[in-house]
Amino acid sequence: MSTADSNLAEFHWLMDVLQTIDVGILVVRLDNRILAWNSFMENHSGISPDDAIDQDLFEVFPDLPREWFEHKSRTVVQLKNRAFTTWEQRPYLLRFKNNRPITGSAEFMYQNCTFIPVTNIRGEVESLCIIIYDVTDEAINKLEQQRTNAQLKELSRLDGLTGLYNRSYWEKQLEQEFRRQKRAVQTTSLIIFDIDHFKQLNDINGHLAGDHMLRQVADVVRKTIRTSDIPGRFGGEEFALILPDTPPDDAVRLAERLREQVESLVVEDEQAGPLQVTISLGVAGWHSRYERHQDWMVEADQALYRSKAAGRNCVTLA
Amino acid sequence: MSIPVLICDDSSFARKQVKRALPPGWEVSVEFAGNGEEGLAAIREGKGEVVFLDLTMPVMDGYQVLETIKAEDLPSVVIVISGDIQPEAVSRVKKMGALEFIKKPVDQAQLTKVLSDFGLYAE
Amino acid sequence: MSDYQLDDELRDALREVTNVAMGRAADLLARLLDTYVVLPIPVVNLLERSELNMALSSLRSVSSVSAVCQGFVGSRISGEALLIFNDTSFADIAELTSYSGDVTPEIELELLMDIANILIGACLKGLAEQLDLTFSQGQPVLLGQHVNIEDLVRNSSSGWQRALTVEIPYRLEGHSVDCDLLLLFTEDSINVLENKIHYLME
Repeated sequence: MSTADSNLAEFHWLMDVLQTIDVGILVVRLDNRILAWNSFMENHSGISPDDAIDQDLFEVFPDLPREWFEHKSRTVVQLKNRAFTTWEQRPYLLRFKNNRPITGSAEFMYQNCTFIPVTNIRGEVESLCIIIYDVTDEAINKLEQQRTNAQLKELSRLDGLTGLYNRSYWEKQLEQEFRRQKRAVQTTSLIIFDIDHFKQLNDINGHLAGDHMLRQVADVVRKTIRTSDIPGRFGGEEFALILPDTPPDDAVRLAERLREQVESLVVEDEQAGPLQVTISLGVAGWHSRYERHQDWMVEADQALYRSKAAGRNCVTLA
Repeated sequence: MSIPVLICDDSSFARKQVKRALPPGWEVSVEFAGNGEEGLAAIREGKGEVVFLDLTMPVMDGYQVLETIKAEDLPSVVIVISGDIQPEAVSRVKKMGALEFIKKPVDQAQLTKVLSDFGLYAE
Repeated sequence: MSDYQLDDELRDALREVTNVAMGRAADLLARLLDTYVVLPIPVVNLLERSELNMALSSLRSVSSVSAVCQGFVGSRISGEALLIFNDTSFADIAELTSYSGDVTPEIELELLMDIANILIGACLKGLAEQLDLTFSQGQPVLLGQHVNIEDLVRNSSSGWQRALTVEIPYRLEGHSVDCDLLLLFTEDSINVLENKIHYLME
């Protein structure tokens, strides 16, 4: 075999490899004309080399974000430095269908890309090679994991019975709000309340009826407060609310509304029949004399006890 | 008579690299310094007519050395050899009186050319 | 190799070749952002696995960081490059790269990847050229955005015991931009590096 023949043979099998390799290879000139387009590109895009080669990349893929792409390629060309992009930045460069249309859960192929400057013999960058990797499985796994983690995190914050925040998370929020108050313009207020004679209700009607009542009261809380308010259950029949940027007078009005809503609430229990309860509430606005967030809670708690002492089913401002 | 040459760099590896890059047959007596302070001391003792100076060094960096040489009008010709190849660094040291800037890793051909361009060395 | 100490000559030489490599990376970054990058003296260390977290926490006083890592391998040397960003840096960087509007986590990620591409790519290229090596770089992986620095490598469960670390703290002159590039070489890369450097000294 002559040298020319063996060079040709080598060229053939190299081309064969480039064609069959399971990553996308796309070479574009600096004016965005497509120079190379391997089988991966052809098969996933459904565009044959005849329709791609020599065409403007943005005409072949009108959805390709031009500004982003040109920023990346400019950096690569100017600095002669390869660049990597991940699916986390941009799920895909070119929208291809998922490789597994039947069993896969993603709609499209997630892609990582490498941008490589291609230089001529004088060392000038003449074109840009873009390698596209299918990372759909990896991306789906990671997204799934993130979702699960987020759910677990949310679950660990909640009180299982009522779905309000649990005490430890609620107190952390209060701590944060306490720190924020030191430089806040608006006063934040705190409401602590509990259900009157709850032990009696439990003893007479059973714990299931008691739990039922707790859930219903929590529902009233959810419906009465604003989305910015932070409701928590302390365990037992005690509840607490953080009302950000709410002066004490407004907090008292909200507390009064809560009291009325609960008072008019009739819970139909299968065993015990219709049940009704009332609540006693204590309200405390933030004050600069508090040294720790606990001082704030004590203040609201004492107001709650004054409500109890005053005959229950009422609101007291600290 | 041999020329007193000072190589001032905090890295002994870099000092050796510079020494090896000096043109063979250049009649010099080479002295080393590990930071700017040591470098200035050697210069004041007349051991640095030609100084190869690094920029990033502990204790006293190359910029401070250039400043002092200018302020005290010390009899040294300074060629900066540095890895900091930002245009800003190059123009800064030239403004501060450095004769030339050579990027690291130092290359013998380039060093020789700079030395002959400024008449410090003739083949 | 268990009682291996980092020899002064190797440490010095590594610091020097890193210095040159990071200088090139800084030059590219300076051109991209049109600003001056302050070059520090790189710190070379041999770290036990247990010391890595400590070393990471000592890098930064702030708790919230974003980080990218990228593996590299070639010429019987392997390791990972870790780029750690102070989350407070993004506002300034966004301004330098003339991103307008709010700096969303998406934009932060773009900036992080842009800078990682430049600093890691140019630094590895600089090292490889000086030591006459070639490296393949893997895809970069986002370790986390707005996470605790201690949590960055907590999940690593591979069996490594110690690593050669090169720490390069970059700062931009006149801006509050802080980032650290950490090159971590596996233990069995050290001998190869030593030979390469020895060769350079001859």
